[in-house]
Amino acid sequence: MIADPGQILFLTFFGAAAVWFGVVVFRTRSMVRSAIALLFSQTAVGAMFLVMQAEFLGVLQIMMMASEMSIMAIFMVMFMMDPGGLGAMEMTHQKRLSLKAGGTGFVLALAVILLGGWGAAVQEVPEAAVQTAALGRELLGRSMFIFESAGLTILTAMIAATMVAIAPHGEDEA
Amino acid sequence: MTIVAILAALIAGAWLLAAVESWVTHGRFSLTRPLIAALALAGRESIVPRKSDRLFFEAAPVLLLVAGLLAAAVIPLAPGLIIVDLATGALFVNAALAYVLVALIMAGWGPDGAYAMIGGWRFLGQFVGYSMLIVMPITAVAMRAESLSTLRIVASQAALWNIAYQPLGFVLFVAAALALSWLPPFDLPAAAGDLAGGVETEYTGVRLLILRLARMIIVLVLAAAVTIFYLGGWLGPWLPGWAWSGLKTVVVAVGMLTLGRRLPRIREARFLELCWKLGVPLALVNILFVGVIALVVPT
Repeated sequence: MIADPGQILFLTFFGAAAVWFGVVVFRTRSMVRSAIALLFSQTAVGAMFLVMQAEFLGVLQIMMMASEMSIMAIFMVMFMMDPGGLGAMEMTHQKRLSLKAGGTGFVLALAVILLGGWGAAVQEVPEAAVQTAALGRELLGRSMFIFESAGLTILTAMIAATMVAIAPHGEDEA
Repeated sequence: MTIVAILAALIAGAWLLAAVESWVTHGRFSLTRPLIAALALAGRESIVPRKSDRLFFEAAPVLLLVAGLLAAAVIPLAPGLIIVDLATGALFVNAALAYVLVALIMAGWGPDGAYAMIGGWRFLGQFVGYSMLIVMPITAVAMRAESLSTLRIVASQAALWNIAYQPLGFVLFVAAALALSWLPPFDLPAAAGDLAGGVETEYTGVRLLILRLARMIIVLVLAAAVTIFYLGGWLGPWLPGWAWSGLKTVVVAVGMLTLGRRLPRIREARFLELCWKLGVPLALVNILFVGVIALVVPT
C-alpha cells in the first residue's frame, strides 16, 4: 500500500502528539495530570491506528486507554496517602538508572524496527469488518495461549490489588 | 446534509429532554423553560475558582460535549441517515462514551474544590461497576447481528426485536446507561443535597451551560443506543424510519429520566457489589444464552 500525503501528515501529527504527551507525563508535578497525559498519549497512538486504517485496533485502543489510565489514576491516588491527589510530587525517580534503562529500551526498539524482517507491505488494506473477523480468528487460534496467560496474569494482579486495598479486619463493612 | 439533520435532531432532542427533566423535578411541563434557563446561564458570569487547574477546568465541559457528539456520529436514524457507518460502530459508541469518565474526572479535579473532586472520583468508582455492563450486552447484540455495524445490528432485528430476544441484556444495558449518564438512582457523582452538585459545583455561566447540554446529549445518545440495540431502531409500520427512531428514542429517554426517581439512591459500594456479583454473571448468562440460540436456531 502506498500512503498518501494526507495520511503521512496525520500520522506524523498524532505520532508527535503521542511523544509530547509522553514527555508531559514526567514534566508535570501532579499525579492526576500525569495519568491524564499518559491517557492522551495512548489515545494519540489509537488515532495513529485509525490513520493506518486499522479500525478495530484504533477504536479498541482509544476505548481501553480512557478507562485503564483513569483507574490507574485512582489507584495512584489511593496508594499515595494523598486524598484526591492534589499534592505536588516529583514524577522522576532514580534518574541515572531510568536514563540508562530508557536509553537501552530505545536502542533495542530501534534495532527491532530496523533489523527485523517485516516482509513486503500489503498492497490492499482489507475492509474493516474483515480485519475484525481476522483478528478474532487470530485471538482464538494461534495467539490464544499468549492472550489467555496474559489475561490470567492480569486477573491475579487485580485480585492481589483488591486484597491490598481492602481493610484488614473487616471493620469497614460495605 | 446528514450531519446537519443529525445535529438538528440532537439539539431538538436535548431541548425536549431538558423540558422533561424540569417536568419530573419541578412538576411543571414547559417548553420555554429550558430556553430561558439556557439564556440565563449564557448571560451569567462564568467564575473561575482560585488555584484551579485551568486546563482541566476549561477542557472538561468541551470534552464531555465532544464525547457525546462522537458517539452520535455512528447512531443511525434511518438506513441512509447516519454520519458514518463504521464497521466497529457498536464498539465506537462505547469508546466515545468512555471519555465521559475522563471529562468528569477532569471536571472534578480541575476546580480544586472538595465537593467537585469527590464527585469526580465517585464517578470513577461508578464506572468500575457499570463499564462491563455496557460492553457485555453489546457483545451479545453483536453476536446476533454477526457485525458491530449499527446499521446491521438494526437490520438483524427485522424478525424479532432484541428486547424480546435478549431481555436480560436489555435490562442490564439500561441500568448501565443510567449509571453512565449519572441519572437517579445512580446520581451520586452530582448528588444534589449531598455534594451540592458534585462535578457541577464549581461551574457557572457558559461553562455550566455546556456541561448541562453535553449531559442531555449523552442521555439522548444512550437512549438512541438502547433503541438501535434492543428496540429495532427505525423498524416499524406506517411511519417513516426516522420518525420511528425519534419516537422510540424519546420514549426511552423519558423512561430513563423518570424511572430512577422512584428509587432510592444506591451507595457506591452497594452499586459495585451489585454490578460485579450480580450484573456480570447475568451478562455472561445472557451471552451464553444468545450464543446457544445462534448455534441451535438456523438463520
